[in-house]
Amino acid sequence: MTRRRREALAAYAFLAPDTIGLLVFVAIPMVLAFGVAFFKVDGFGNYQYVGLANYKLMAGDDQLWASLKVTAMYVVTFVPIAFVVSFALAMLVRNHFKGIGWVRSAFFLPNVVSLVVVGLIWQFLLVDKRGALSRLLAPLGLGDVSFLGTPSLALGTYVVISVWFLMGYQMLVFLAGLKDVPKELEDAASIDGAGPWQRFRYVIWPLLRPTSFFVVVNSTIGAVTGLQAFDLVFVLTKGGPARATSTVVLYIYEQAFTFNNMGYAAALTTVVVAILVVCTGLMFGFTRGGRFDED
Amino acid sequence: MAATPFPARQFSRRSVLRGGLGALAASAAGVPLLSACGGNSSGGDAKEMSFWNFYGPSDDQGPQSKWFVDTVEEWNKNNDVKVKLRYIPGKDYLNGTTLQTAFQSGQGPDIFLISPGDFLRYYNGGVLQDLGSALSDESKADYLPGLLEARSVDGKVYGLPMEIEPLAMYYSEAAFEKAGLSEADLPKTWDQTLAVAQKLTNGKQYGVMFETQPGYYQNFTWYPFMWQGDGNAIKDGKVAFDSPASVQALKFWGDTIKNKVAPRKPLGDGGGDVVSNLGSGAVAMQQSGIWAVADLRAKAKNFKYGIIPHPTPDGGKPATDLGGWAFVANSKGKNPEAAAKFIAWALGSTDAAGVERQRQWNTVVKTNVPPRKSVQQAADAKGAFAEGALKKFVSEIAPTGKPEPRFPPEVYQPIADAIQACQLNAADPAKAAADAAEKIDTFLKTYQGAPIS
Repeated sequence: MTRRRREALAAYAFLAPDTIGLLVFVAIPMVLAFGVAFFKVDGFGNYQYVGLANYKLMAGDDQLWASLKVTAMYVVTFVPIAFVVSFALAMLVRNHFKGIGWVRSAFFLPNVVSLVVVGLIWQFLLVDKRGALSRLLAPLGLGDVSFLGTPSLALGTYVVISVWFLMGYQMLVFLAGLKDVPKELEDAASIDGAGPWQRFRYVIWPLLRPTSFFVVVNSTIGAVTGLQAFDLVFVLTKGGPARATSTVVLYIYEQAFTFNNMGYAAALTTVVVAILVVCTGLMFGFTRGGRFDED
Repeated sequence: MAATPFPARQFSRRSVLRGGLGALAASAAGVPLLSACGGNSSGGDAKEMSFWNFYGPSDDQGPQSKWFVDTVEEWNKNNDVKVKLRYIPGKDYLNGTTLQTAFQSGQGPDIFLISPGDFLRYYNGGVLQDLGSALSDESKADYLPGLLEARSVDGKVYGLPMEIEPLAMYYSEAAFEKAGLSEADLPKTWDQTLAVAQKLTNGKQYGVMFETQPGYYQNFTWYPFMWQGDGNAIKDGKVAFDSPASVQALKFWGDTIKNKVAPRKPLGDGGGDVVSNLGSGAVAMQQSGIWAVADLRAKAKNFKYGIIPHPTPDGGKPATDLGGWAFVANSKGKNPEAAAKFIAWALGSTDAAGVERQRQWNTVVKTNVPPRKSVQQAADAKGAFAEGALKKFVSEIAPTGKPEPRFPPEVYQPIADAIQACQLNAADPAKAAADAAEKIDTFLKTYQGAPIS
């Protein structure tokens, strides 16, 4: 075997576990789910071909629309806030100072905790009247506010907790992007008389576009289908109060495992995936994949 | 989701996997209902049966776990067909996916535990085994009235209840004393409840608490308040939810939040967790079930409390909900006949050992009202209900109870939404009840399963 062939073989061997994993656990289930969407599935192994009936049901399902609205509200608040916060954090811990390792680790720490534990900790902090936050706010006359029990506040609370959880990870992505910004360019700008804001606006920000694009796409998808859209809601509120946090993923779960409507749940999944593909496509289109202007 | 009648064309899961989509769309009806999938639908005679439950053998090896392990050991000693326990943690059993995915793939357990809320879903799915042939008439007659009926269809019994769990109001003696209240102030009506709760509410404590988290449990705890005004969700197969009884019950729960005398978010495991809420001093009165007696005994020994029946509305009658899980057998399991025999033996035996096994479960390792007369007598003889909360539960509260309704998800969900909207989102109770009734009505028009009660 030639060296070239051996290397090619090694490359395939290294790629194989991931490819097989993606195929078995993502691609094949996706195709099967698309198939199941054409059936009425009763949860006891019986399949009944119903054509597009599951898709037709969606139009009259107000709870589906309500849950899509919850998810949309979540995406348009969570994605920009998480972006700004994690970017600011990355700028804060970009340059070396004493104890930087600790600071970075501290910001990243929430991300290594299980989301279920995160949910429980926050629930504890936010408990009515007796939670740490209620006590802090009591002197302001806000001790009675129930952050997770009031429909108008629950979704916002959930956004704050998700940002807190994910900011460390996104900060890391931004840090990696910032590392790729050549120091010489900043120095050159500096010599040309550019102040900190101008260096940021005209050097760092344009060069970070691919990173920013990645973060936006990634956090949008995460906000719709990621762990925080299910685990966190499931632990914190189970979709309540009064369905204020019933995300579309939670709704799909309910349809599948509470109502035993596996076929309908599968159909809903394909719609959510389609919406995501369209949204991501639009983002790609508008930003040309986050490329540099001159590409 | 509105139920729409689907064309009755049956396909098996195997054919889905085998044929691929194109073939499926093309191939017409007529493939017989899946039978080869997983278990043996005609009933096998395997020598081992699985028993999924959320008690044992658990990691903590507690008394309830031990009861399950011992019961199964006892059976295995004397029978050829063995039972093998599989423990599934409660949270996963109740809200998870383990049981559902197992049945969907035809790999459901031979014996399992079922709540009233799930009964019709599994019955209509055709997986519940008729226990009749394994159950003696003597045993049937031993159950308290209504309990077997709640788990029967067309006179055939499909599940044996292991316990009765009535609901009541628990109160903290210390909280009452601190507020300068005495036993005479214990509320008997809804209005009194709101007034007393007001006096008990302070910077650190709420006066009263009902479950606020959406789910089967919340519905279960709310039904008695609807029944008190002689209302129901369904009567004689037709929707009856849009009634003054439902509206006033929805309003009462909403008022506790509106008046700021009840929390929007309970501590610990929620409404049923008395130790974390009442026991910690976060609330002064709390609705919960008979299980809380055992919980308090185990985790808050020195906590002084009492119980009272649910307060009633003006002109209303006392009512409580009799919860309780049942053993059921999978008719498509590996040996449904033997599974039925096991259940009849474990819960229904009328011999001395059988009664003692039930007494242990209901009054020693757990606190329940025993579902069988002979077991109640045996427990009484041992002084189980001689005093305190349990005495009140058995003599005063349980007799006003109805078995937990077996509403399928399509009936449960609109009611759950109405409760949530009125309790936590200040919705208009009359409108919420009417909306829910309309959804239930739409569902009932096309529903074809066993009678809903």
